[in-house]
Amino acid sequence: MRLLLNGNEAAAHAARLARVEVLASYPITPAAPVMEKITQFIAEGSMKCNFVRVESDHSAMAAALGAAMAGARSFLITNSQGLAYMSEVLYHTSGLRQPVVMAVVNRALAAPHSRFPEHGDVVAQETCGWVQLFCENNQEVLDSLIQAFRLGEDEGVRLPVMVNYEGYIQSHTRETVDVPEQEAIDNFLPLVRRPVLDVNNPLAVNTVTGPELYMDYKYHQDAALQHAGEVLEEVSGAYARITGRDWGGAVSGYRLEDADIVLVAMGSLVSTARLAVDDLRAAGEKAGLLKIRLFRPFPAAAVRESLQAARAIIALDKNIVYGAGGALARELRAGLYGFPAAPVYSYILGLGGRDVGVEDLAGIYRQVSEQLGSGTAPAPYQWYGL
Amino acid sequence: MAVKELPVVPSARPGTMAAGAAMERIRERRPVFEKQKCNLCRECLFYCPDAALAVDQGEVRVDLRFCKGCGICAVECPVRAITMVPEYAGNRGFIEK
Repeated sequence: MRLLLNGNEAAAHAARLARVEVLASYPITPAAPVMEKITQFIAEGSMKCNFVRVESDHSAMAAALGAAMAGARSFLITNSQGLAYMSEVLYHTSGLRQPVVMAVVNRALAAPHSRFPEHGDVVAQETCGWVQLFCENNQEVLDSLIQAFRLGEDEGVRLPVMVNYEGYIQSHTRETVDVPEQEAIDNFLPLVRRPVLDVNNPLAVNTVTGPELYMDYKYHQDAALQHAGEVLEEVSGAYARITGRDWGGAVSGYRLEDADIVLVAMGSLVSTARLAVDDLRAAGEKAGLLKIRLFRPFPAAAVRESLQAARAIIALDKNIVYGAGGALARELRAGLYGFPAAPVYSYILGLGGRDVGVEDLAGIYRQVSEQLGSGTAPAPYQWYGL
Repeated sequence: MAVKELPVVPSARPGTMAAGAAMERIRERRPVFEKQKCNLCRECLFYCPDAALAVDQGEVRVDLRFCKGCGICAVECPVRAITMVPEYAGNRGFIEK
């Protein structure tokens, strides 16, 4: 069924199709309409789900974690300040290996206070042990959220998954979205229950762990997160077989063959960059695009393979790690280090909702092309669009 | 590298944590009771933060699985019947058995 949906509505339809059993939520802009849509589905009877009203995002995360430990499929949504407030419990959820799925509707962090999109909120949680996926459009929001449950619940993964899409650019903009049939999703996503809180098998959960065991737990957790990258390829493939839509696992290239200069981006910038690449190609430039769909675990091997023939790489970061630069540029440089690779030109742009259009990306491409031609080494990072 | 096999969810079965000698590893001192001085007033039982003390067969006994060696009982004892004795040998930090 094809519907005209904004990103938030697409996320709510994904929760409905995934037969989410518990939604714990505290309202925050621009994520709150997902909660409104899900409660509408519950009121209409098209979704059987326990809506837990909480007094904060910290409690929302704790409630979702508790529900998951009781064996329920649980879901939540938040962004920016709410995600920062959840931070402590994010680590509990990944450390306790619970497959909670969360839609993060990316918004800039205060101060100064902002309502507008960028990736600073999720980048601040890069070490929290969750799988982190980014979506380029509303169809991918719906598809990735459904895939996220299967990925997180996989026996070899058992980790929480964040699915990111940007406030307003995606959350409040309508696009045509193909909504799969319930039966197809039921086959793709059978309910997996692994209750930890079980009255017939009582356990002390989240025990105080000394130096003799803590590091081993962390080793297993990191290995499971790395493994999630491989499982995503399999899950994306299985999803493509039932819907015909293949988002390409961890990364996907666009006009990469014979590309000299490659734009690398996450989230909504990817769809903008596709158009920029088309325009540049039409003007005779050998431009390409690498989409990073999976930020954690970072797919360094796939990135190396995709960028091996590039002469220059442009990292587009809608975030600033203060004092260090762009998170994506840092990952690219680290992932390519030691391999014969092109220089990475790092751009910080689009913070706090500052618009980045097709012509901006084409302009950046030309800047880099000139620098490459004159043999100018890339700056650690530079701000674009001030 | 030999990584320990662990439950996926960090957890422990009932009794598996308290049964070990955890407090023996961290306790620096233990209470010793002088039966001749003790008047069984039970003041030490009420103050013990870990409920590690009990009157058993006419005398106060300590359950060393739970005593963390804080010494509150010795301070509160009105007849000074409790002495805190070091668990460690010298300053090398190992437990004297």
